Order: sequence, then structure tokens, then C-alpha cells
Amino acid sequence: MPRVLLIEPDTLLAATYAAALTAAGYRADCCVGAQAAITAADTARPDVVIMELQLTGHNGLEFLHEFRSYPEWQDIPIVLLTNVPPGEFAGGRAALMRQLGIRGYLYKPQADLRQLLCVVRGIVAAGMPA
Amino acid sequence: MRDEYGDAASPPVLRQDLLLSVIEQLKQPLLHISRQAELPAVSAGPVDLHRMRVTADAALRLLDNYLLGVQLGEGGGRMFATGPVSVASVLYDVGDQLAPFAKLYGVTLDLQVEGRYGPVLAHRQGLEAALASLGYALVEALPAHDTPQLTLRLAAYRCRYGVVAGIYSEVPQLTAHALRLGRKLYGRTRQPLAPVTHGSGAGVFVADALLHAMHARLFASRHKHLQGLGAMLPVSAQLQLV
Repeated sequence: MPRVLLIEPDTLLAATYAAALTAAGYRADCCVGAQAAITAADTARPDVVIMELQLTGHNGLEFLHEFRSYPEWQDIPIVLLTNVPPGEFAGGRAALMRQLGIRGYLYKPQADLRQLLCVVRGIVAAGMPA
Repeated sequence: MRDEYGDAASPPVLRQDLLLSVIEQLKQPLLHISRQAELPAVSAGPVDLHRMRVTADAALRLLDNYLLGVQLGEGGGRMFATGPVSVASVLYDVGDQLAPFAKLYGVTLDLQVEGRYGPVLAHRQGLEAALASLGYALVEALPAHDTPQLTLRLAAYRCRYGVVAGIYSEVPQLTAHALRLGRKLYGRTRQPLAPVTHGSGAGVFVADALLHAMHARLFASRHKHLQGLGAMLPVSAQLQLV
């Protein structure tokens, strides 16, 4: 069963996303913050990471840089599911996504569960051995 | 004249920044309701109507509290009359109001109003709205700190300058520095209270604005070993006789 690491500070919202992912056949591990996410990824390597950039006490971008600094996690696909709208990325969203190897960006208020599942399904399918 | 907010010292509630902060905050309950409503279409589970109702109620309260702040601020002191208010009864009512929302987030509310404080001089509705706004914001913020103890204490204590009524937790980031920084960053960044909450912190700023309109103030304080935010309320010696 593919593992999804969901980094979402709102525990209620995380439960809803996790229910949708579980029903779609993924194992969803939820974390509220950066430190817990590092520990979770260390315990069991996720196939996909879905994360909010607005975390409590940590800057989501700093977390991404740190996450990518570990050699074993450099190729784990990351999807941003965030309240930060596309126009607010300093230096451009596309450049940032390229730089950090972000595989998907979903603006939370406008991305429904079907869209999220579609993105995750595509990434997991692409990562499966032929 | 410049205040801690970094702008002209106009009542904060009238500023566009607060409205934008409230709008940003309101996206969250709407997001909850929208995704929850969509859940049965992608999973076998039923829609949680109770959860939807409680989150909608919390959003409505935030709007009402914001509107009350606007009315109090616009009135320039004429709109509201202060009177003797029992801090204990306000905290009980706030606790009642917050209970369903806190339960949803797995947060325990602990009410500590021991001692005799006597009535304080305040606008009852305004004080209740301020503490409730603060409470909703902290209930939502607390689980994101990954602390084992998800407890919020609603408490009051007497100090040299009056009575402090506030909301406290084991989160050490609830400091005067975080509040001061939040007031400076507010309106300039998406997360002015980043050490405390992942959202816009609208509830904290609405509480701040309400208290400002009542000539009181929100400040970081401690209750026993807990950190929190509270309102300093004046006690009138005359009111001690009430």
C-alpha cells in the first residue's frame, strides 16, 4: 500500500484528507509540523509527501530545503497543498518548484479532494516499476 | 503618533488589515465544510454534519465578534456603556461557547476561577466576545504545536493593576515577544503570529481590537506555570460594594 505523508497543521482538515486518501487505497500518516514530519519520514519512507507551507513555528520553505538536504529524501515526490495563493511566491512558483523538486501545487481553497487524489494517483503510478 | 501596530494610532478594528485577516481566517471553516461535504463522494464514510455545524458556528461567532468590535470602535465610546461585570460569569459563558469547538479539536477546557475578584469595570458583551475570539483562535492553534497536553485553561487572577482574565496553555511560544511581533507584522504577512498559529491569527487580533475599543488591553501573561494571553481589567473600588 503506497504511503502518503500528510503535513497539515489543522488536525480537522488533516482527518478529512486522510479519510479520502485511505479510501483511495493509500496509507496516510498525518503530521502537524516539521519536526514530526522529519521523524515520520525517518521511521517509514513515504512514497509521496503532501504539505501545507504555513506551519506553526516553522517556515514551510525552510522545511522543504531541510528535507531535500537529506540524500535519501531527495527524490521523494512532494505536493504542495497550501493556502498560499500562486501569486504570492517570491521569485516565481515555477522556479521554486523546479529548485525543490516539487511535483504538484494545489491551492487549497480551490482544490477539491478529487483533484488531490488525481495528483497523488498520477505520482504514485509514475513511480511504480513498469 | 505611532502605536505598536506600526501605523497611525487609529482603532485597529477599523483598519482594512483586520478585515483581510478575518476574511483569510474564514476560509478555513469554509474549507472544512466544503471538503467534508465532498468526502462521501470519494469514500464510503458519511458526512459529519455535527463537525460542519460546529465549524460554521465558530465562523459565525468570529464574524459577530468582528462586527461588535467595529460597532464599539466606531462609537468612540458612545456606543457602549461599561458596568460592573463578574469575570467568573464571563469565563463560564466563554467556556460554554467554546466547548463544542474544543471537543472537535480534542482540546480540554479547564476553567479556574477560584478566589473572589469582585466585579470589574467592562462592557460585558465586548469582554465575552474578546475572550471567545481569543479562545477559538487558541483552540485551533493548540493541536498544531504537537504538545502532548491539549488543555486550555480559562482563568482569572488578581494583580496590582486589576484583574486579569485570560486563556493559558503549555505552549511556551505564547509570549509577549510573539504578540509584539505579531502586532508589527500584522497586515504585512500571512502568518503574523507564526510561533503561535498557522493561520492569520484573526481571532487574536479581533480580541485585541475589541479590548482596544473598551480601553483595555490584551497582553501576554502567565497563570501558574502556563503561558497565555489575557485582558487587564480595572477594578473600581466603588464597585467592590456591589
